[in-house]
Amino acid sequence: MDISLIIYALNLAAIYSLMAIGISLLWSSVGMINMAHGATFVVSGYSTLVASSWIVPIIKASLAGTAFYTPVLVLSMTTVALLSGAIFGAIIYLIAFLPLHDKPNFAIRSLIATLAINIATVQLFLWWFGPRQKALPKLFGFGRIDFLEFSIRYDQAATIVGTLLLVGSMLLWFRNSRLGLEIRAMMQNPEGAALSGISIRKKALPVMMLTGSLAGMAAILLSQTSFLSPTAGALPLIKGLTIALLGGLGSIGGAMLGALLIGILEVITGEIPFLGQRYVLLIQFIFIVMVLIVRPRGLGGLLDETRK
Amino acid sequence: MNNYKLNTDKQISLQSVGQTSKEYKIHPKTGSVWNKFRLPMSRRHWLKWRTHYNKKNLTKARRLEDKRPLWWFLCLIPLGFSLPWLSNFALSAVAIFCIYASINLLWSLTLGTAGIFSLATMAVVGVSGYVAAAANVYLGIPWPFMFAIGTIAGLIFGGFLALPSSRLDGLYYALLTLGLAEICRVFISQIRALTPTNGSINGVSSFIPEEWYLQRPGLLLGAITALVLLLLSLLIYRLVNGETLGRQLQVAREDEEFAEAIGINYHSARIKVFLISCAGLGFIGAFYAMYFRSISVGVFSLDQLMLLFAMIVIGGTERAEGAVLGTAIVILIDRGLFELGPMRIVIIAVVMILVTTYASNGITGIRQQFRNFRHRFQTQKRSLITTKGGEVMPEEAIDINDKQQIYSRRFDFRLRNHLKTLVTDDVIAEHKAKPLGQHSDALSRLLNYFRRTDVLDKYAIEQIGSLKEAKYKILAFTGIPGKPPRVVDERIYNSKNDAYHAVFLMRINDLLES
Repeated sequence: MDISLIIYALNLAAIYSLMAIGISLLWSSVGMINMAHGATFVVSGYSTLVASSWIVPIIKASLAGTAFYTPVLVLSMTTVALLSGAIFGAIIYLIAFLPLHDKPNFAIRSLIATLAINIATVQLFLWWFGPRQKALPKLFGFGRIDFLEFSIRYDQAATIVGTLLLVGSMLLWFRNSRLGLEIRAMMQNPEGAALSGISIRKKALPVMMLTGSLAGMAAILLSQTSFLSPTAGALPLIKGLTIALLGGLGSIGGAMLGALLIGILEVITGEIPFLGQRYVLLIQFIFIVMVLIVRPRGLGGLLDETRK
Repeated sequence: MNNYKLNTDKQISLQSVGQTSKEYKIHPKTGSVWNKFRLPMSRRHWLKWRTHYNKKNLTKARRLEDKRPLWWFLCLIPLGFSLPWLSNFALSAVAIFCIYASINLLWSLTLGTAGIFSLATMAVVGVSGYVAAAANVYLGIPWPFMFAIGTIAGLIFGGFLALPSSRLDGLYYALLTLGLAEICRVFISQIRALTPTNGSINGVSSFIPEEWYLQRPGLLLGAITALVLLLLSLLIYRLVNGETLGRQLQVAREDEEFAEAIGINYHSARIKVFLISCAGLGFIGAFYAMYFRSISVGVFSLDQLMLLFAMIVIGGTERAEGAVLGTAIVILIDRGLFELGPMRIVIIAVVMILVTTYASNGITGIRQQFRNFRHRFQTQKRSLITTKGGEVMPEEAIDINDKQQIYSRRFDFRLRNHLKTLVTDDVIAEHKAKPLGQHSDALSRLLNYFRRTDVLDKYAIEQIGSLKEAKYKILAFTGIPGKPPRVVDERIYNSKNDAYHAVFLMRINDLLES
């Protein structure tokens, strides 16, 4: 198999895993399926788009031609995407979590509320920006890195490295900070965490902001290779959800493994001549169903009893 | 004031308290036989009339226990009769309402009755619509057979969908099926034969003749057939939810282990309901393709699914009323505020958020939710009462059927509290001096109270020996018929007056202890 296909698969896997980890993390720690994750994706994409129309000229004027140009651009755009994702996460927290978290049937009701947020956001964006597809400025420039005998496009390399950095730093933060410890406790056993004085009501806010910023990161990374439109969030949302399911809701490692498998599967299916691009979703779906029939809780699913 | 006819034809008037007196009731003559009509082929009656006897005056009254058939009648019949006078736009809105309401009814069979959280509804409708349309257009099968083809396609597709449903539970299944519509959309839009038409099948023949299509008679016919479709879906909902399968699953919802223990195979019941629902959705899919004379990949779009989900969520999944009412609300917003553009979807989303935030099971669940709230509120209020309001604790009071008892016990409590203040050394001395005869006011009040209490609280004096040298002993009644009184203590009293006074002291003691 061509080595560039592996890179492509890794690239896809990185973006999918960002979405899937967000969904998975939120489900395991707060107990809520965030259907507004696609909306977060769109919101961050568009905020980056709007911000870029202001920031890019300034950076171009002051730093064009210097070695700082690309790093400053990437850094500022990423900051905007992460921040807008986090802010939208906080909005979801206010609308869908805070009024509902102590009411019966929270899991399904929050799913419905976030779904409604998703619908409303998509329609508001359609109304404000119109249905036209837009392209985000290319952050990483055009070009390829020649590494040994592989040749990697800049944006693919940046996606893979960026995702690894973000997820790695997140895991490190989980491991080493007080808040991370509390969130891990919530993931392991919500009741136990509540009994030892960890307020899910308060700790849900940072979790939602974190997962929101993950979706924001996915948005700018995916927008390097595809266009942005108000309905662009649907496919990443569905992919993220199904991968989170495949990996086992609540397992970060499972989500990454699932994303990798799905990315590879997508590339392979696209390459096999008699299948081709049109069967990608179908094959993925059948694969996920088969895995779930064998392992109903997904690849890394351990959360049988705690999250009932 | 209501005048109830007593069996003896004597008029007595009752105060109208509460809402019961405002309800329509039939007051049949005593001994009259009522011929109730039964549904053909079954033992069911058309309406649920039940006879009650008023506890106070024993009048006989028949009231309609289940008023839902009346409401359905009141809502659907005017809709059906008003069709010829509606505008073309309203006619198409009514038809869309009926089609969506039918889909939602069958969907709520899956969600509410079977408890399978499936979001594959539009996928089933779309796939069977496509199969039926393709059979008509490419194989030339005439339209009446499309219904059968659609139903079978829905059934087969449902069979595939049912496979993982027993393994996966709840939300997992929901998330899995959410992607299904999108997969169908992508798959069908990439079929090469359909590429020229952008994935849609056009020119499907239909029950609406071609020259009538999008004309007044065609729209009218479409609306009428859609209404018939809605009635059929209601019938299926009633037959599945209200009969054996629905009852079995209702037990399983309450307690799965119990259902299993009494021999209900709820797994297979669930799958059966799911398959029935999918077959019905297939039928609707064929109808959908015929109504529009074409079918496009728009049927699979996520927005469409979310709109339907909004309907079912706003109405509530547990009841047929919910599915239809939710559809009506969303269609009214969607069609009534047409000029608002995308903002009306935002309004629907806001309604959806409000309903999910404040109602636990949609609009039709509000009534039950309010009752639960009121019950909880009343219980809390009752449990806050710490004083014992006359021997009856508030929790006990709700179990006492005859409320008169509560009041008599409350009165008794207040009376005893008052009498306790009357017990003084003077009164006891007065009684000791003269157990019988004219007494002071305080003493006669005490004695009157003692005399009229239950036998259980009373004492008796037993005479021992002959009349001349009689001794007296005090006994206490057991209160149980046939069981003789028991001896209180071995003390012997020489005179009757001493015994009287001893009984008096015992009663005083009992009073002060109570």
